[in-house]
Amino acid sequence: MAVARPPRSRRKQMEAIALYPLDWLEERSGLVGAVKYFLFRKVPGDTNWFQTLGSATLTAFLVQAITGVILAMYYTPDPNSAYESIKHITNDVTLGWLVRGMHRWGASVFIILMFFHMARVFLFGAYKYPRELNWIIGVLLLVLGMLEGFTGYLLPWDQTAYWATVVGINLNGTGPIIGPFLSSVLRGGSEIGPDTLARFYSIHMLVLPAAIMGLIGLHLYLVIRLGVTSPPWSKKAAGAPWIEEDEPEQPARKGLVEPTPRGGAAK
Amino acid sequence: MSSIEERRRLFAKYKEDVKTRGKPFFPNAMFHDTVMSLVVVSIIIGLAIIWHETANGTTAGLLGKEYDAKADSGTFSFVPRPDWYFYFLFYLLRIFKWPDSVILGTVGVPTICLVLLLAVPFVDKRTERRLSRRPVAIVASILVVISMGVLTWKGATATESLASENVKKVPTWIKRNKLPPAAVPGANLFAQIGCLNCHSYLGTGGGYSGAPDLSAEGSKGKGIAFQIAHLKNPASVNAGSPMPSFATLGDQRLHQLAVFLEASKGGK
Repeated sequence: MAVARPPRSRRKQMEAIALYPLDWLEERSGLVGAVKYFLFRKVPGDTNWFQTLGSATLTAFLVQAITGVILAMYYTPDPNSAYESIKHITNDVTLGWLVRGMHRWGASVFIILMFFHMARVFLFGAYKYPRELNWIIGVLLLVLGMLEGFTGYLLPWDQTAYWATVVGINLNGTGPIIGPFLSSVLRGGSEIGPDTLARFYSIHMLVLPAAIMGLIGLHLYLVIRLGVTSPPWSKKAAGAPWIEEDEPEQPARKGLVEPTPRGGAAK
Repeated sequence: MSSIEERRRLFAKYKEDVKTRGKPFFPNAMFHDTVMSLVVVSIIIGLAIIWHETANGTTAGLLGKEYDAKADSGTFSFVPRPDWYFYFLFYLLRIFKWPDSVILGTVGVPTICLVLLLAVPFVDKRTERRLSRRPVAIVASILVVISMGVLTWKGATATESLASENVKKVPTWIKRNKLPPAAVPGANLFAQIGCLNCHSYLGTGGGYSGAPDLSAEGSKGKGIAFQIAHLKNPASVNAGSPMPSFATLGDQRLHQLAVFLEASKGGK
């Protein structure tokens, strides 16, 4: 039963071959459509550079994730060799100093960007209905990011790291009711030692990153679902109650008005 | 405060406005995001290079040391200094003094700030977003920026007392506090092992953590045995104390320290 195929040009055939994997993927997952939706979704026409702070924060996090994975290949979370492995990474491993430096300073950049991004959202009033939940997720991400800083600080196992963590954990212990319990869980005993280091390492590179990635996913989902806020000062801010409803979109009486000179106003 | 119906109506209008007048995320907005991300990565790489090029191991460069000496729970020549973005929290502890109100600094203020932060969208239910019509939001953000800035700056510029500098103060302590000869070894120890990184003594030291002044510790009448027990395990005699244990000093040196502390009567 031969169905007559419409004649196809060579160009069309090539296109079909090239797109076949995408079609295959789309038919089985809908992912191509999702990416298309993400890329071509409409955002207000007046978004500006301040609104890149969120994706900048995400970039800083990705830098932390990638450099962190590389560092984990060389780092040993054991008090006897942790310090030596940090020295080895810094002095011997090819570009190890760069990866460690990026992780060390990327942490600061990540935290600064979280605060900047939050300030932007606050000043734009972008936390308002229906975006309250995303503000809460953002605050949680800020707390988790700070905890990443706290747990990562101990890992080089040098004097600064050690004693700052001793005092940090002890300060935790001053908290009411769960304070002392939290301290001994963090320490893994009554003294800072091998258990503490392993615990901090695990929290730093498994628990917190997993939680942060999950929350970032949710954060982005809500951004895409609810849309990006227009700057409040914009003359054409989307959905702004303070902007007149009726804008003269098109001068409908075309032909009835005199042709305006170039660059002149329509009315 | 706007009613929920009003807020729903405005969000529907937002969706409609974006649909009719918005532009696709790709390529314009995405281009901005990409440029900004490249700037961020460049800054991070730049900082890493400056750090590595100007520092050499334990020798500090423009951005500090690459690493300190190896952690040693037996030596106490340390400064418990957190990473810079915790300075504002750490410095709070110097405002609230141990032991009465330290809990306000460690738990109280941070918790209140966190709760306030989470409550922002539920407190401010107006639809107004223009800054000129949001005086409370403006004042609040200026106050937050100033207080966090000042606390961070204070933390960053807090002086660290060096053991070699502290030792030079010992003769003054002997004179002002009329220390007996038996208390001198303890005084030298006290000056060098890091006590002054947290505590102050006759105007020296203090550090970051707002630990109590010890100039007149001896006038509290706590006794040698208490002092030794406290140094060995601070939390055992002073519930919830954040001070680390100094048990590794050994009995002889702990005794010297205790004698010194008990002989310190506040320079009267």
